[in-house]
Amino acid sequence: MAEMVQKESGGAILNHWALAISCILLMITGFAFLFHLEWIGSVFGGFNTMKTVHNWVGVIFSVSLVFTMFQYLGDSLKYDADDAQWFKVAGGYLSHKVKVPPMGKHNPGQKLYYLGIALFGLLIALSGFGIWLMKENTTIMLLSHLVHNVAFVFFCIMVPVHIYLSTLANPGTLPIMLSGKVPLALAKKRYPKWVKAMGKM
Amino acid sequence: MANNTKNRKAILVTPELCIGCRACQVSCKSWNQLPGIKTHNSGTYQNPPDLSNTAFNLINFIEMPSQENPARWLFVSRRCMHCDDAGCMKICPAAGAIYRTPEGAVAFDSDKCVACKLCVNACPFDVPRYNDQGKMSKCHLCFDRIGSGMEPACTKTCPTGALKYGDRDELVKTAKVDGFSTIYGENDLGGLGAVYAFKEAPKLYGMKENPVIPSSVIFWHKYLKPLSWIGLGGVVAAAAIHYLAIGPHKDEEV
Repeated sequence: MAEMVQKESGGAILNHWALAISCILLMITGFAFLFHLEWIGSVFGGFNTMKTVHNWVGVIFSVSLVFTMFQYLGDSLKYDADDAQWFKVAGGYLSHKVKVPPMGKHNPGQKLYYLGIALFGLLIALSGFGIWLMKENTTIMLLSHLVHNVAFVFFCIMVPVHIYLSTLANPGTLPIMLSGKVPLALAKKRYPKWVKAMGKM
Repeated sequence: MANNTKNRKAILVTPELCIGCRACQVSCKSWNQLPGIKTHNSGTYQNPPDLSNTAFNLINFIEMPSQENPARWLFVSRRCMHCDDAGCMKICPAAGAIYRTPEGAVAFDSDKCVACKLCVNACPFDVPRYNDQGKMSKCHLCFDRIGSGMEPACTKTCPTGALKYGDRDELVKTAKVDGFSTIYGENDLGGLGAVYAFKEAPKLYGMKENPVIPSSVIFWHKYLKPLSWIGLGGVVAAAAIHYLAIGPHKDEEV
């Protein structure tokens, strides 16, 4: 067996899937609310139960989001010259001929994606609690409704980008979020600066 | 809009003809089996003080002395306006909770209401109220009566003709012929289902000038809603094109 290195901890994996599953459930029910999709409502036994599910899954999402901040926020705020060069070649996604600079544990696309999720996740969570708990205040209700929906559009665009890039576009990425481990040989190619920092290269 | 058809029904309120007897309030409670509420005397004959989840209509008593009449009293019957372009219907997230009847009334189904109270905040006229369970309630133009060819309880009871029910176009036309220069709600929000006939400025009677749905709700409805599924679909399509045209990452080339 090829030598494996640990890239994600068990806790990080568990939290990632708590966030991912709650996020997708929230988006599906969110679409049902937006467009009155009764066939989705009937899966939950009606819009009343669906609202309860939406609210409490939102709590799971919010708690999970707070946990991600301890995992990824620090790394997401650090950028170096290689990261700048990564943007110039668009991460190598638009052409296989360009040379992609050596990367650390996360590439700047991932880091920016995380910052976006953290920011808009915070907005969608806070505004969700606003709609849920501050019904007597018209200003808060209408502002929360607007913010909730602006953030929803961000999730509608960015979540499928993340799913595509982490599965079909980059074979071998998904298993890392399942087992936490990546073959050392693959890690040396994709995350050389991270492998070096661990002293395995 | 779709509901400005010949079939659209409406209530015409002529405050000038109202004597403030409140029979409309009583008949509304009677037909809709709404309990009375205990109120306090706050120095006005108006009672109850405001619309509530058990008071779907109300006569506003306005003391407005004028040069000729130092004891002028204005009576304005208030209820849901049954807007053609209704803010409550726009923002409501629950399918079928607020719906349009064939007569053009904005009715509601408490079983389908999810008690989110967004409608309360999107109404230009501050009409929807909610009960202990948070379920919305308001005037529904007696959809159960008008659907069977009867008229709403309030208009049926009104002894002076201050409240009239009928074909909307007909009511507006008649009011104009009768010399009422201002028809409040003729064109606001796509045309209201409760129109008011005035000879003076509606503002005098406490009517809201230029009623509109909150701009954030319009923006959300017009742009954010379509953007959500266009964004999602666009990204999925772009990912498919990328996969086929450029293809996945290849480690050999790194």
